[in-house]
Amino acid sequence: MNTARAGRRIRIAAGLGAVALTAGLAGCGAQGGGGSEGTADSGTIDWWGWTPDVNVANTYIEAFNEEYPDITVNYKQVPIEDWEAALRPALQTASGPDVFGVQPGSRVDAFKTFAEDLTPLAEEALGEDWKDKVSQIGIDGLTADDKLVAMSVGAVYAGSLWVNQALFDQAGLEHPTTLDEWVQVCEDFRAAGIGCFVQGASQEGFDQDTLQAIAERVEPGAWTEASKGERPWNDPAIVETFEIWQRLFTDGIMQEGAIGYAQYPDANNDFMSGKYAMIMMGSWYTQYAPEAGMIGAIEAAGVADPEPFPLVPIEFPDVTGEGNPAGYFGDADYGLALSTKSDNKAAARTFITWLTTNEDAQQIVANTLNNIPALKGISADWDSITLPFPDQQLTALQEYTETVSQATAARFLHLNQDEQDAILEAAVSLAEGTATPQEAADRMQETVAALGE
Amino acid sequence: MVATEPRSARTLAASPGTNAPSTGPRKRERRALQPHGLPWILPGLVLSIGVLYFCIGYTAVISTWEWDGLSPTPEFVGGRNYAQMFRDPVFWGAIRNTILFFVITFTVQTALGMLFAVLLHSRVKLGVVYKVIIFIPVVLAPAIMAPVFRQFFSADGLFNGILEFFGLGAITQPWLAQSSTALWVLMAITVWQWTGLTFVLYYAAMGQIDNSIIEAARIDGAGNLRVIWSIIWPGVRGTTVALAMLGAIGALKTFDWPWLVTVAGPNHATEFLGTIIYRQTIPNYDVGYGAAVSVVLLVLALVMAIILQIRGRERAR
Repeated sequence: MNTARAGRRIRIAAGLGAVALTAGLAGCGAQGGGGSEGTADSGTIDWWGWTPDVNVANTYIEAFNEEYPDITVNYKQVPIEDWEAALRPALQTASGPDVFGVQPGSRVDAFKTFAEDLTPLAEEALGEDWKDKVSQIGIDGLTADDKLVAMSVGAVYAGSLWVNQALFDQAGLEHPTTLDEWVQVCEDFRAAGIGCFVQGASQEGFDQDTLQAIAERVEPGAWTEASKGERPWNDPAIVETFEIWQRLFTDGIMQEGAIGYAQYPDANNDFMSGKYAMIMMGSWYTQYAPEAGMIGAIEAAGVADPEPFPLVPIEFPDVTGEGNPAGYFGDADYGLALSTKSDNKAAARTFITWLTTNEDAQQIVANTLNNIPALKGISADWDSITLPFPDQQLTALQEYTETVSQATAARFLHLNQDEQDAILEAAVSLAEGTATPQEAADRMQETVAALGE
Repeated sequence: MVATEPRSARTLAASPGTNAPSTGPRKRERRALQPHGLPWILPGLVLSIGVLYFCIGYTAVISTWEWDGLSPTPEFVGGRNYAQMFRDPVFWGAIRNTILFFVITFTVQTALGMLFAVLLHSRVKLGVVYKVIIFIPVVLAPAIMAPVFRQFFSADGLFNGILEFFGLGAITQPWLAQSSTALWVLMAITVWQWTGLTFVLYYAAMGQIDNSIIEAARIDGAGNLRVIWSIIWPGVRGTTVALAMLGAIGALKTFDWPWLVTVAGPNHATEFLGTIIYRQTIPNYDVGYGAAVSVVLLVLALVMAIILQIRGRERAR
């Protein structure tokens, strides 16, 4: 082999190596801006989200394409557990999504640098008084540093229980309205060989829903104030909340092994397959009340021949007996953000504007029953929704959606991930009996105080 | 292959009774060959340095930052992430879990692996079937088996059903939902999965032991246990050291089973360094802290490997 050829090979290899090294460096720490405008009524946009489900997204896209046939929207649903890991690198490259879903709260702050401010878009679509026309909860949770990072499609609210009315009827039982009644109902269900209440207590979000629902019965607003740092976590109202939470385990309301359960899929599957009569879920569960949604959910729970049952929301029992009203609390389910690196920003704006501010689009959102629409004055058209047991479901669902849409208390908005972890730790310690309510509350206060240092 | 030529030349030179070439021309030949080999290894070299070692170094740099993984302006905080980590009881709980996990799983896997290897080296009927059955768990992905084990060990799961069937209903409990039992369930699952590999390696190692030594021992009156203890066990020491090293590093890297089966709970009872790194880096956006734990994990893995290697060599002498 002559020297010239050897030298040439070295140069080629060195060149390849330099490319590989550059790629490695880029992969380890890419940042930067970019993107282009394109046209407002044509082009292709990629929309990524962990929600809604693909069939719901396709319903939105089909309706959108009736108005804007030249804009192609490709929806990619990423499972919630992989969402953060998938989105972060994608947003740092030009091949990521044009439009992406954003969770309210701390995530908004994290992703704000990758999203355009949508305030001008909202003003253009709804006018200067746009804030009066959409749900405040959708604005608060999706704004960071006065920048509207994403526009809310709709909101979800928690604080309610959902029941399988067929199981209540089968056992001849009434819905529990107090803690003692709840304990008794669970004893009766067990005696009848039916599971009573199921919760995936290994997941913080759902534990927090139950805790906040209890706290609303103890002292309305106490939980929200603690979340905002306006009262300590070892306040007597929170300690009492923890005491009642612990009683759910010691008095046999929670199913055995609850803290080893995940709400999804474990608890949801058990409830949907008819093993349990009650579950703590929020307004997103409304989508399973119609026959089509329910059949799909029961099939997904592993039941071969799904039979619909009357799925009904009920108030969280008055677990203190003090007569405080049942509290509901929520956040924007998700907002749509426009990526700064989008290569078709104009078309992406058209899609975001249409889905979040157009009355027809928001009516479709309302009718899918997954979200309470962001636009005020829009509610589900119950005449067009087929319920399998309208006599048992219709009034309850109408009242429920009407009530929760009035809620103003936040669900996760004021809590960062470390605080949510501390709540889970307290909840599990209480469930296991390794801490008293006062100890758990004190420990939580210490943790949160340390985080703020 | 070009790269083997110098080695061949050395071998020839060292062999008695061969006409070894003189030193001068051999050196010239090696120098002439160097440029030919370098281009072949350069891409791999650059890749390993550029991707692997660079990213390890970059992780060490990140560990000195307060960073959410997205912000273009991370804040330099020096050793604060490390200080926070050493004060964090969850970190020390993960270290305790790792040590206990390694000791128990390695001991049980070694005992079972040896047992199966010894049994299958004797002439058992359907030996191939047994080997396949023992080895199958090794190739099953945790992601596939995790839901099965979640169901199997749940409060109303099959395991409690089996206990009740055998009249042991008094000891049934929600195995995965208690801090006191969840880690033991994960250790049992790990033993179930990796005993097959231990068995295969011991089985192969035992095949290398000279049969005449065992026969001589038997003539001298050694029983089965004596043969295992005095001949087979020392004969497979290298395998045991390798398995210990793999087990220790595996314990440090444990992530899939605790995350998929218990999500590192309840109450951090099944927390490992890997689960801390993932939780802090991905859901909690504390990339700097996650990187600090990653660096500690790397250091511990290296130290563990070095210690086991040295101990193995000392014993071999």
